Amino acid sequence: MAKFNVNSNAYIIIYSVVMVVIVAVLLAVTSLSLQERQGENILNEKKQQIVKALGEDPATAAYGDVVAEAAMLDKSGNKIEGKNDADIFNALGDLTASFDAGEFPIFKAKNGCVVVPVYGAGLWGPIWGYIALEPDMNTVKGIVMDHSGETPGLGAEITTSNVQSAFVGKTIFEGDELVSVTMRKGGATNNHEVDAISGGTKTCDGVNEMLKSGLTGYLPYFNANKSNK
Amino acid sequence: MSNWKNLTGPLSSNNPVIVQILGICSALAVTVKMEPALVMGLSVIVVTAFANLVMSLLRNGIPSRIRIIVQLVVIAALVILVDQFLKAFVYDVSKQLSVYVGLIITNCIIMGRVEAYALGNKPWDSFLDGVGNGLGYAAILLIVAFFRELFGSGTLFGYQVIPDSWYIANGGFYSNVGIMLFPPMALIIVGVIIWVHRSFNKDLQEK
Repeated sequence: MAKFNVNSNAYIIIYSVVMVVIVAVLLAVTSLSLQERQGENILNEKKQQIVKALGEDPATAAYGDVVAEAAMLDKSGNKIEGKNDADIFNALGDLTASFDAGEFPIFKAKNGCVVVPVYGAGLWGPIWGYIALEPDMNTVKGIVMDHSGETPGLGAEITTSNVQSAFVGKTIFEGDELVSVTMRKGGATNNHEVDAISGGTKTCDGVNEMLKSGLTGYLPYFNANKSNK
Repeated sequence: MSNWKNLTGPLSSNNPVIVQILGICSALAVTVKMEPALVMGLSVIVVTAFANLVMSLLRNGIPSRIRIIVQLVVIAALVILVDQFLKAFVYDVSKQLSVYVGLIITNCIIMGRVEAYALGNKPWDSFLDGVGNGLGYAAILLIVAFFRELFGSGTLFGYQVIPDSWYIANGGFYSNVGIMLFPPMALIIVGVIIWVHRSFNKDLQEK
């Protein structure tokens, strides 16, 4: 090391370039070699959440045993033909774009329930979830919610079963009007409300907005299938 | 013998959080529950240890004018590696930590130890120093999280420890202390820990 001056400009530039290249190669190689495994994890998690929304335990019930069909709906609630499972799960990765494009993924369970994905904004970042409805397209069968950065102990409580189980049995329609289910500060007063989380008001507002706007996109489908009964 | 000191010193007499006063910010953020605090502690141990090791190996070749940049690149690269491995192999844990993994980069302990220790010491000593400081940090995190989760949520590691029948809602006398869930309470708990710690370690008291 004594041969050259470690503080000369040329050395500094060469040092930085070599360092950056080495680090870039290292990170790129790691990222590429782990990509497949990470993708599988993410896909698996989506499937598990769908199963969980339907009230089954993902540890015992496999996705294929519970869900009969994954479909893509258009704006008026009709099935878009020619979409395979991969397309549908890809759409879940970017729901905003998918909803904007008029494509609404839906999962039909073997017992007649349906699961729809919803997406919104919490206090610190995105929140998303899956809501399962009974075959009457009105009663909530179950809900799974997740977030990327809500405050642990406050907004992040939306991921706990305490909060999520409160949604079960609530109804999303008042007569023919879609009222969704809201988290109400001060406690639930009717069958379209559940208790909000104290200290997590902003996150709860986000959940309300997410459910309302998400379910609205599926309204034509719900109406069509409700009247069939 | 000096190796041993590198490892145990930061646990008490030279603790990064309560003596060196480093890494307070993340101690406030991840201590509402014990589980994220534990995983955060483990991740920080890994990153401080390897950042110290790498920087100590490189210490004679680094141009001193850009050493901070080099430190940042090494630390950031390590944190991204940790994040990638967590995502690939323990996806659940990585979800638990969410944004906090990225925040390890800005944890002052790591850069503080690299700058203060690894740049002037041998690799093995530096590695142990990193492990020790990570452990010291994790220990404080867990103590703070213990009190915050116990009194704030009535649970530990997610398991309920305060009996249901104690709660006012069930006719009892107890209710969770909401302020425990907010960051200022973490600062107060850290303050109390420092107070207790210094009253036992008189040599640390400022004259």
